[in-house]
Amino acid sequence: MDDTLSREEEVFDAARKLDDPAEREAYLDRACDDDSKLRVRVEALLSVHSHAEELFTECFSALRSSADNPESPAAARDLAQGGEEEQPGAQIGHYKILQRIGEGGCGAVYTAEQEKPMRRLVALKVIKLGMDTRAVIARFDAERQALAMMDHPNIAKVLDAGATHSGRPYFVMELVRGTRITDYCDQNQLDTRDRLELFIQICHAIQHAHQKGIIHRDIKPSNIIVTLHDGLPVPKVIDFGIAKATEAPLTDKTLLTLQNQLIGTPAYMSPEQAGTGGLDIDTRSDIYSLGVLLYELLTGKTPFDSRTPDI
Amino acid sequence: MHEITQILLSPQGDGCDSEELMPLVYNDLRRMAAARMASEAQGQTLQPTALVHDAWLRMFGNGDRRWQNRGHFFGEATEAMRRILIERARRKSRLKHGHGWVRLDIDDLSLAEATPDDKVLLINEALEHLEAEDPERAKVVVMKFFGGLTNQEVAKILGVAERTVERQWAFAKAWLFQNIREQI
Repeated sequence: MDDTLSREEEVFDAARKLDDPAEREAYLDRACDDDSKLRVRVEALLSVHSHAEELFTECFSALRSSADNPESPAAARDLAQGGEEEQPGAQIGHYKILQRIGEGGCGAVYTAEQEKPMRRLVALKVIKLGMDTRAVIARFDAERQALAMMDHPNIAKVLDAGATHSGRPYFVMELVRGTRITDYCDQNQLDTRDRLELFIQICHAIQHAHQKGIIHRDIKPSNIIVTLHDGLPVPKVIDFGIAKATEAPLTDKTLLTLQNQLIGTPAYMSPEQAGTGGLDIDTRSDIYSLGVLLYELLTGKTPFDSRTPDI
Repeated sequence: MHEITQILLSPQGDGCDSEELMPLVYNDLRRMAAARMASEAQGQTLQPTALVHDAWLRMFGNGDRRWQNRGHFFGEATEAMRRILIERARRKSRLKHGHGWVRLDIDDLSLAEATPDDKVLLINEALEHLEAEDPERAKVVVMKFFGGLTNQEVAKILGVAERTVERQWAFAKAWLFQNIREQI
């Protein structure tokens, strides 16, 4: 056995078992004495220790599942779809997946249990593979400060963001349980006045966001959930910050070919959003989308039938 | 495990041929593979047999084999498993990235963006560096990571204390991680 490595291993082993940083320092002082090279090496190893454990745990599981016959239908499906679905009980960061509750163009949404810093239920949205994780998280981080300053009863808080084991970005949001606004209005046969009252609350929410400098960019019925508080319907706008973070720059692709892949739904996108590829838009795009929403709430249809775009 | 060693070290010779060993070794390999694949996830049907068959063919496909001791045997068995798992990781990585020459692709990756298969390949590359410096420690990694053997099993196989294995394994992981970081 290599003697240098043995010495490193010995010191590393003893040091990593000392949780108290002061104790650890003292030990390293004694053990390394005037061997600065040893000290540098051991400290480097100590600094990557927990990352290393994570890496190996993750890869061990990956190897385990790849040890199945790769021609099995499940594995083939996985490869085809580009990634596994999160299973109930799976751990993603501080969150434990409970149940899948929905699927969007971007990815799937789950209820999850948050463990630290407190225990509560949250919504966790995992973005599909194919989005550049680092860039997505970076864009989200840029907005995170502003997002954290939003505090409005009609806005669902975005709490956290990260990356899963398989490298997909995820977002953690306040869990909002209810019905999307258009369905709620129809199911409860709300009259015009009631619909307008809900709409006004949404406008207040968007106003609040705009004052904080946040543009939603993806206002549509599926992003507005109506929950009941003390028997009263409360609309909540969800997915703030996510549309911007996950937006991939569009090139010269047409709306027709990108119907399902556009971030932002064609029927609700303002002309400048659709045309320039979502760059260089401001709060007025949100206002446009609100207009489309109002139209749909009152008539049951969007102003431009998304099947035959005419822009 | 004990039975195999008895046969391996029987007075009749310094080893024995694969035919005689086959049933015993096969069971051990299966157990090893099953331990490898013991899963916490519910409802997954796992097939250790496929991996074991592959490993078996690798080891015995060329005719009679002889081993000097159980360390030698399990060393080869876990190496065979390693080769198979790496091949599969390469295949899947190629599918995902669509390039032919995986080694080049890995150089372009940062660890955060790598898929688990890519990471396995990175670990394997780092492991090759470790093998060049310290084959003994590298063997522990192969047995634990690709073979899925417990600290206790590795300790028995190599004839060392369990604490030693635990220490070597923790160190090796940090060493390998550091090595990967230096590469990419």
